[in-house]
This record gives sequence, structure tokens and C-alpha cells, in this order.
Amino acid sequence: MNAFEKIKVLYIDDEQNNLNSFKATFRFDYTILIAQDTNKAFEQLKANPDIRVILCDQRMPDKTGVEFFEEACALYPAPVRILLTGYADLESVIDAINKGHIFRYIKKPWTDVDIKSAIEEGNKFYITTSMLAIKNKELQSAYDELGKFAYSVTHDMRGPLLSVIGALEISKSMDSIVEIREILDMMDAAVKKLDEFIKNMHEYYNLKRMELIFEEVDFTKVVSDVGAFFNIGGKMDKVKFSFNVVQNEVFLCDEIAIKIILNNLLSNAFKYQRRKAENKFVEVNVEVKNNEATLIVKDNGIGIEESHIPRVFDMFYRATSEETGSGFGLYNVKDALNKLNGTIDVSSVVNEGTVFKVIIPGKPNDAS
Amino acid sequence: MTQAKKLHFIIIDDSKLDCFIADKIIRNTGKCESVTTFLQATEAIEYIAKTPPHDEHTRTIVLVDIQMPVMNGFEFVEAFEKLPPSVIKHYTLYVISSSINENDIYKLQNYASVKQFLNKPLTSNTLAAILG
Repeated sequence: MNAFEKIKVLYIDDEQNNLNSFKATFRFDYTILIAQDTNKAFEQLKANPDIRVILCDQRMPDKTGVEFFEEACALYPAPVRILLTGYADLESVIDAINKGHIFRYIKKPWTDVDIKSAIEEGNKFYITTSMLAIKNKELQSAYDELGKFAYSVTHDMRGPLLSVIGALEISKSMDSIVEIREILDMMDAAVKKLDEFIKNMHEYYNLKRMELIFEEVDFTKVVSDVGAFFNIGGKMDKVKFSFNVVQNEVFLCDEIAIKIILNNLLSNAFKYQRRKAENKFVEVNVEVKNNEATLIVKDNGIGIEESHIPRVFDMFYRATSEETGSGFGLYNVKDALNKLNGTIDVSSVVNEGTVFKVIIPGKPNDAS
Repeated sequence: MTQAKKLHFIIIDDSKLDCFIADKIIRNTGKCESVTTFLQATEAIEYIAKTPPHDEHTRTIVLVDIQMPVMNGFEFVEAFEKLPPSVIKHYTLYVISSSINENDIYKLQNYASVKQFLNKPLTSNTLAAILG
């Protein structure tokens, strides 16, 4: 919501002369909409959800202003309502104010100053209440996220710990070194899973608070840095990693956000391989053109079932029980892309592989 | 329990380590005939639906985790309750979880087929208690 844009005002009066003079007087200060009867007024309200202030004459043939506001208030609660009236109607005005149907009344004949001050005050009230509604919504979604988070923490953090506790307990009565080694390996995996969860959580909070820093991004360097990290494990699992970067222009973007995106996509690509397959590969292609970077991460792994695809970017959603996953990775990718105004597409075939396509716009380069 | 009859077990948990622990503890009791583990609840439901009971009188004890990807513990119980009564009667369900969320535990009371909620990690004491 922009507090400085022209305030949209609806004025209802059965006398055309009043409408005309009102419009003529205030059209430079506000965007004026007019209606000669209440039916027209409702049409205007329906067509213009951004009306902030409604002024209405009390004495009209089809309905009084108070009656109109009573109805309008139920259907369109957001705009601030101001009544124009003579002294004779004071009783009904007091009643309307007490019921909360009108914000203010202006006695007739009005002066420009009265109207202006009423509209300005009304607009302030409108902005405050709308802001409150927006803030409330943000707060609610933060609460929801926190609830989801707390719920997951009991599982994702407590789960591996309880596994290790259980394993320690049974290992006390084990004599065979082979068995003990086996259980140690599993404990090792459980602890690593916990560690990965904590690292992802850290990433998530960093993203939430992160101020973007725009600097020149050299994709060849970024991809080889991030790729090298996974390639060590990849070589052990016989996953071939290759990348190709075409970048002939300066690209301004936040390098950390890009690394988070690439890191998570590559981590998944290496992780969700078909264990026994031949010729396993992970491929990254980057093209920077017209100040836009297109990143394609492709693998021939286990793929994602079609029914799971719409939910893979949800927090804590996991589409497979294979391998260790925190349910944070793709959520963080999406979050980072939202910050960069980027987009992501995924196409996947089960047991054939997955392709993620990311498009990131560069910051407009002022120098050029 | 008149005793002597050995029990069959099914463990459903996406954590390999937790399956391993449960398997070990169950086998150590000496009261078990077989232990079958599943990392995915969907596979377990398929197995239960297709496998004929060992004989008319055996019961199989099922230990199922709550939070699992793809099909979680609640979804498993719901799918299980849709199986024919002739199948259901051979199984006793226990839900086992690291969850300390009251809602989860409360929700479980709505399922007729769930006998009890057990805390992780499974210990020989807990198991002894449910086997009586």
C-alpha cells in the first residue's frame, strides 16, 4: 500500500450540481468517483476495491445516508465513511456515529477546508487500520510457521537423539565387534542427520534476515566451488559431475543466495541417485544473457513422483523416505529465489531423473 | 495370555537405526517368531493386505512410527482400518514416536485399532510391559 498515492474518494449526492462542484473542487487533490444514487454507489464500490473514503449526503430520495452507510459497512468495511448533513438530522447522525457506521460528519453547507481535513483524517485512519490488518496477517503466518517449526523440531532434532540413546542402550549387551561396528555406522548416520538439520535451520534463519548484497557473480567460480564439495562424495558413489557456464557479461546479484540455491539443488541431485544404476550423473548448465541467469541442474536419479511435485517446496515436506533429508532444502531454495525475484521449475520422471530450471534476474547495471 | 504361542512383529519406521533397535530388542525377548521391518508405510500396508495370517490363532504386533514421509503413521492407521475385519483381527497396533506433541497423542485416541502410544526409544522394559 502506498501512502502517497492519490486518495480514491467516492461521493454520493442526489443533486448533480453538488456532484459537479465537488469533483471540480477536489479533482486535483484526490481521485474522485461520483454516484447520484446508492445503487450507483454500490456499483462503484464493487468496481473499485481501493476506495478509501466515502462521502454521502444524508437526504436522498431512495435512502438516507445513514441507511446507506449501514449497508455499505457490512459489505465494504474498509473505506472510511463520512456523512454530509444539515442540523435537522442530528438525532440520526448521533445514532449512526454511536453504532460505528460513520467516521465523521460534516455539516452543510460545507467548506473546502472541512472536506479536505475530513478526507485527510479519514485516510490516516484507513491506512492505520489496513496496516494493522496486514501486520496481523503477517503475524499469523509467522505464528503458523513457528508452530510447524516447533512440531518438526521435536521430530527432526529429538528423533536422531533418541535413536542414538536407544542404540547405546542395546550396544551395552553386544559382544560382537561386527555388530557393534554396524550399530556405530548407524549412529554416525543419525548424528549426521541431526547436524544437517541444524545447518539447514541456520541457513533458513540467515535467509529470513538476510540483506541482499549485490556484487559481480562469476558463475564459473561459483559452480566449481559448490560442485567441488559434492564431487568428493560423488566420486565415491560413482556419480559423474560436469558443468558448463556461458557468461559473457557482468552479472550483479547476491552470491550467497545463489550459493544456497545451487548447494541445495546439487545436494539433492547427488543424494537422490539410483544406487545401483550405471552412468549416474549430475549436470549443471548456466547461461547468462540479457542480464538474466538460467541455471539448469539435471540428474538421472530416482526422480519425483508427479503427485509430490506440487508440494516439494513446502517446508518439511519430504517426497521420499530414502536417504536423509531435512525437508528444509527446497523450501530454502524457494525462499532465496523469492528474495531475488527468481523462478524455479521442476520436471521429473520416476527412475529417469529430475531437472530443475532456475531463472534469476540480475540487478540492473546502472553503469551501462 | 495362555502363553507358549510365539508372536510375529512388524516394524514400520523410516529410520533404519530405529528399525534395527526395535528388531534387536524384540529378538532378545525370545518370544518372537518373526520380525519384519518396513522403511515405508505404504509397503507395510500392502504386505499386511496380501499376506495370509500365519494360522487362525496367531497375532502380529505392529509398531508404527508417526512422522514418516509419503505415508505417515496416522495415514497408515487409517488405511489399516479400511482392511477387512478378518485381516484386522490378527493384528495389534502400537504407535511409537519421538513426538511429545499432545495433539498427536490425543489424535491417536480416536483410532479404535491403536492399542497404545509408546515413547521412543523402544526399551526392553517397555516391550516386556506390553507383552505382559
